[in-house]
Amino acid sequence: MTERVSIGQARIARAPVILKACGLGSCIAVSLYDPETGIGAMAHMLLPTRPENNPLGSEGKYVDAGIFQMVDELVRAGATRERLLAKISGGANMFETIYQTLINSIGARNARSARETLAKLSIPLLGEEVGGNRGRTVEFDLASGNMMVYCALDDEYVSL
Amino acid sequence: MPFRELNNIQLDALKEISNIGMGHAATALSQMIGQTVFLRVPYVTITEISQVPEHLGGAEKLMVGITLQILGDARGSIMLLFPKESAHRLLCTLLGRHEKALIMNEVNVSALKEVGNILASAYLSALGNLLKKTLIPSVPLLAYDMAGAVVDYVLIELSQTSDFALMVETDFTGVPNQELAIKGHFFLLPDPATLEIFLNAVTGSHD
Repeated sequence: MTERVSIGQARIARAPVILKACGLGSCIAVSLYDPETGIGAMAHMLLPTRPENNPLGSEGKYVDAGIFQMVDELVRAGATRERLLAKISGGANMFETIYQTLINSIGARNARSARETLAKLSIPLLGEEVGGNRGRTVEFDLASGNMMVYCALDDEYVSL
Repeated sequence: MPFRELNNIQLDALKEISNIGMGHAATALSQMIGQTVFLRVPYVTITEISQVPEHLGGAEKLMVGITLQILGDARGSIMLLFPKESAHRLLCTLLGRHEKALIMNEVNVSALKEVGNILASAYLSALGNLLKKTLIPSVPLLAYDMAGAVVDYVLIELSQTSDFALMVETDFTGVPNQELAIKGHFFLLPDPATLEIFLNAVTGSHD
C-alpha cells in the first residue's frame, strides 16, 4: 500500500506501507524508521529552519522542526528512539544559475539542515541522494527500510 | 494582506490585470510564431501550497518551466509552464523544422527561454503601464523536469510568507485544433506586499 506525502506534510505509517513523495526539487524528503517495529515516517519539507518568531504553518514545512516532530510522534507510536535510522533525498537546484554559489542554494541549505538536525539528535544518516539539478520521486518502503529514488529523465533509479 | 482574505472584487481586479497583460503577451507570441494565439479567460485561484502540483496536472508530469523574477517597483515571480508535448510543438513551430523528440540542447533551451522572455516582458510592460509602475523581468531560467520539482522553487519562496499560493493562471493555445494545440500555463506569483500595490492601483483604495 502506498501513501502519498504531499508538500509540507509529515506522515507516520507502519510496514508494509510505502511512503511516497513525488516531484521533489529543492524540497527535501527525510525518512526516519525503526527497523525492529517497522514504524517509520517521511516528511516533504520546504524550508531549512523554522523561524522562532511567528512561524507559519505546520512543522512539516520546516526541516528542523519537522524532524523533531516526527521523532516525537514515532516514539509515541511505539518506535524506540535509540533505534531510529534516517535517509534523505532531494535538495536539488533546479534552475542552475539562480545562485552563484551552490552552497547557499535553498536545496543545499535544506540538506545541510537535515544533516545537522539528525546529528543533533544522534540519529544515524544511513544514506542520502541529494543535490544536483534533477527532480526526484522518492519511495520509502517501511518493510525493508529501502529508499528508492527515481528521476524523470532517467530509467535508472537509486536505492538507498 | 493574507491571500485568503481577498474578496470577489479584488479577485476580479486581478483577473482583469492578468487579462490585459496576457493579451499583450499573446500578441507578441503570435507575431513570433506566425500563428494566431487563443487565450482562455484567466482564472485566479488561491490554493494551499501543497495542492499546487495537483493543479498543474500532477507532481510527476514532465514540464518545461521558465521562471523570471519581477524587478523594479514590485516583487514577485512569473512562472511559465509548458507540458512536454506543447514545448515540443512550440519548438517545431519556432524553429520551422520537425524534431522527433524534445531534446534540451543549447539551441532549444535558448529558444524556449526567449519565448519566456517575450511573454513576460509583454505581460509586465502592459501591467506596468496600467499600474503606473516600472516592472522589469530578470533573465529567464529554465528547467525541464517533473512539475513538482520545477515549481517547488517558487513555492519555497512563497512559503516563507504564506501557506497559500495565489495563482493567476492563463492558458493559451496556438491553434484551434485541440490535438495540435500548444498549451501553456502562466503564473503570476506576487509577493504579499506587491499584491497590495496591485490591488490599490486597480481598486483605487489607499488604505
